[in-house]
Amino acid sequence: MNRKLNKVKSFLSKPYNILLILLLIFLTYLVVLPLISIIRDTFVVHASEKSRIKQAVGSFTLYHWLRAFASNFSSILIWEPLWHSVYTSVLACGVSILIGGGFAWLVARTDMMWKKVLTKLFIFPYIMPSWTLALAWRNFFKNAVVGGAPGIFTAVTGIAIPNWFAYGPFPIIITTGLHYAPFAYILIGGVLRNMDANLEEAAIILKTNKMRMFTRITIPMVMPAVMSTIILVFSSSMSSFAVPQFLGLPVRFYVLTTEMYSTIQGTNPGVGYIIAILMIVISVAIMLVNQYMIGTRKSYATVTGKSANISLFHLKGARLPLSLLACLIVLCISLIPMISFILQSVILTDGDYSLSNMTLDFWIGLSKGGNDYQDKAGILRNADVWKTLFNSLKLSVTCAIGAGTVGFLAGYSIVRRRGSWLSRLVENLTFIPYLIPSMAFAAIYLSMFSQQRGIIPSLYGTFAILALIGTIKYLPMASRSGVNSMMQLSPEIEEAGVIMGVPWWKRMVRIIIPIEKTTIVSGYLLPFVSCMRELSLFVILVTANNRVLTTLLFFYDEKGWAQYGNAINLLIIFIVLLVNFIVEKLTGASIEKGVGGK
Amino acid sequence: MPRIRLEHITKQFSKGSKAVDQLDLVIEDGDFVSLLGPSGCGKTTTLRMIAGLETPTEGEIYFDDQCVFSQDKGINISPDKRNVGFLFQNYALWPHMTVRRNIAFGLENMKWEKSRVESRVKEICDTMRIAEYIDRYPAELSGGQQQRVAIARTLAPNPRVLLMDEPLSNLDAKLRNDMRAELKRLHMNTGATFIYVTHDQSEAMTLSSKVCLMKLGVLQQYSPPLELYGSPQNIFCADFMGNPSMNFVPCKGTPRDGAIELEAESFSLLFHPNSPAEIRSGQELVLGIRPEAVKIVPSGGIESKVISSLPTGLDTILSLNARGTILSAIDFGIVDYKMDSIIRFTFEGNRFVLFDKESTNQITLGSLSLRA
Repeated sequence: MNRKLNKVKSFLSKPYNILLILLLIFLTYLVVLPLISIIRDTFVVHASEKSRIKQAVGSFTLYHWLRAFASNFSSILIWEPLWHSVYTSVLACGVSILIGGGFAWLVARTDMMWKKVLTKLFIFPYIMPSWTLALAWRNFFKNAVVGGAPGIFTAVTGIAIPNWFAYGPFPIIITTGLHYAPFAYILIGGVLRNMDANLEEAAIILKTNKMRMFTRITIPMVMPAVMSTIILVFSSSMSSFAVPQFLGLPVRFYVLTTEMYSTIQGTNPGVGYIIAILMIVISVAIMLVNQYMIGTRKSYATVTGKSANISLFHLKGARLPLSLLACLIVLCISLIPMISFILQSVILTDGDYSLSNMTLDFWIGLSKGGNDYQDKAGILRNADVWKTLFNSLKLSVTCAIGAGTVGFLAGYSIVRRRGSWLSRLVENLTFIPYLIPSMAFAAIYLSMFSQQRGIIPSLYGTFAILALIGTIKYLPMASRSGVNSMMQLSPEIEEAGVIMGVPWWKRMVRIIIPIEKTTIVSGYLLPFVSCMRELSLFVILVTANNRVLTTLLFFYDEKGWAQYGNAINLLIIFIVLLVNFIVEKLTGASIEKGVGGK
Repeated sequence: MPRIRLEHITKQFSKGSKAVDQLDLVIEDGDFVSLLGPSGCGKTTTLRMIAGLETPTEGEIYFDDQCVFSQDKGINISPDKRNVGFLFQNYALWPHMTVRRNIAFGLENMKWEKSRVESRVKEICDTMRIAEYIDRYPAELSGGQQQRVAIARTLAPNPRVLLMDEPLSNLDAKLRNDMRAELKRLHMNTGATFIYVTHDQSEAMTLSSKVCLMKLGVLQQYSPPLELYGSPQNIFCADFMGNPSMNFVPCKGTPRDGAIELEAESFSLLFHPNSPAEIRSGQELVLGIRPEAVKIVPSGGIESKVISSLPTGLDTILSLNARGTILSAIDFGIVDYKMDSIIRFTFEGNRFVLFDKESTNQITLGSLSLRA
């Protein structure tokens, strides 16, 4: 008995053990229980379903599952959106790899002009909110068929845009693909740049011709990067909500996320929860495929060498045309969208882009007291907007502090106890939120916290639920960076303090934290930036009380107040760029450094 | 098998400094030549220029009488047409191909028939003793096995010239010794011309038929290894070759009856040149003494204190303090000396080297005796 007690005592005398136990409880409550709760929610009657199911609220029912998979509606509810999601995502991958990979090749291996400027601008979408290009597309190409005034393109050229070009799968694929093209560029470009030049030289010496070199050596070498790009882009676009909402809804083109949004906001949340589970299953499946591929015999992580002497491929006559083409694409995804937002936010009457129709009213105009949207105060003078902006900042700071701190402590304790089952368990738990698509995660929290649970009151419509979900969702980001940096810090550094009898808190404050300063800072700033531009995680959890900037943009857009929407969008982009600039200045880490930009 | 001739080869990288400066070199057919020198001496650049992977800024390269590169004539034959094999330091095996595919790849490029490719792959794998790994991927092989695969891939098309860029530097010490012996046999069996880059003087000594020692892009000495060791052209060559390295004793010389009186800080010696040598009276000189020429014998004329004694069983390396001059010495067999003990030694042999201090060039070789 005494022996056991001593064992427990010595276990608890290690601060990291206590941390791990606390994290285990924390994560079980906020990650595992919600997962169970959402499964349970697919079997019960919700308040809004009372009239259609005709059972008491909260009682057991198979209605949702039957309706989703064994009724006349299952094709509309599940299979069609699923098919739409899958094929737009697959084709978006293609666009990303073609554009991003092609650009990477031009930059890394050819004598294309203006490389420095072009690479800077090319990764622009990577920092932007995911819907940037979709909104810009609509500003340019919206047509009068669906309603409202035509966009900039028709106004300038007079050519009417057909529906398939303005809305639905085509623009969704193009804008999603272009938005994630920087991923492809960063991943594939990294390989092309760091690839051991000797591998190609060896082939030259063995008399390999150019064609065979490209197909048999170069392409296979970048294949792993292409695969990770596919996985990243596919899962990102599967879980993207804003783009299909902006571009698909006008022609009733639904994907899983938009279908889930409409069912959860509508009269059958049970089916929405089933869609959420479906999305989690797909996401886990993708992750397993990825793991499987990493484990195969042919896998080779990074083949790098001294690549000082890669000879650049001379484009000769194609140099100028290709450089101009790259320039055009880069402008289309970086500066032109911004111009469209500015234009759209200053015109008085839709569809008229003449100077006389322009006004700064939507930015700085005073409220005229009327009820029409044109009578509202400009966004910089509007108390509601300021309140929302403040709420957004407060939320981002809270999530950043939450995720950053918990992530750092998790990284610390996971690494210190590496190899034990407890550490492994906690590590896996911190990773789960990454696997769950944002909107499905929001659905889970909606189901879990929309009613009182134990000592926690109903959180629906409060700031707390947003802070909670943001913290948990960005935890993987922070704990990954925490684990990675702690792995590089040898335990001896802390043990030297232990031998001298320095207490734990002092070791943290005086030794560990100063050494890990930069990673800790980025562990806080990354969640902040992500939170500022997050829409799908918050959109089903906000009410008029706890609105944030992104959902305000969404709200204005739904109302059709394009000018305010575009103005708010610019505001968000401005803040994101500002924070990103600060991150670069503080940590010295820039995104393109990852590609080895010169 | 060709004879390779480099004439006035210079390579200047864009940064300004010359990696190789006016290099003239003739590599005879069937030679095993080492390009030796400290890092940054231009040896790898030279090798890559011979292969055609790097373009010289000046000069000409000939394979037999065929000019493969000439700056003046504007000739630059691409690497795939030079019929050379190249073995990379990091092996450069293609990670996405099996051993078999790696080796067959080059043969397929030459449009060999399928059956001929197959039998050649099998043959070379047997020679290199990698037949059992033929269907593995490079990542599944150890460093030594990867090395063999790389050699097999390079040798498969029977290149006329085999260029090797520090091929053993990624192996552990024991494996490296085995591979050295194997390379030497391979050279004999294939009869090809081998050009071998290394920074390891003992590797160059043991393997090559001729060593080309370079420093900062400039050729220092090009001669058979034992000649390089025994009769170094300058202080750099003398210092670079041999481990433990040569002792250098600064002194002043005076000619006397065909011999040279040497006045060092702590001894006076008489140097008997092997062949007549001219020096000025009072010329500043450096005397080079190989550690094995410091012979420890009870009857030795110089008394010294043992500063350190490092026995390996094969030999014992000593550091001696002789009247204030520190000399390293080597004694063979299972012997050890007490630290701080007093021993006596003498200078033995006729391979002491006299250098001019100013130019650092060799003046002559000779033997030493003590002056009363």
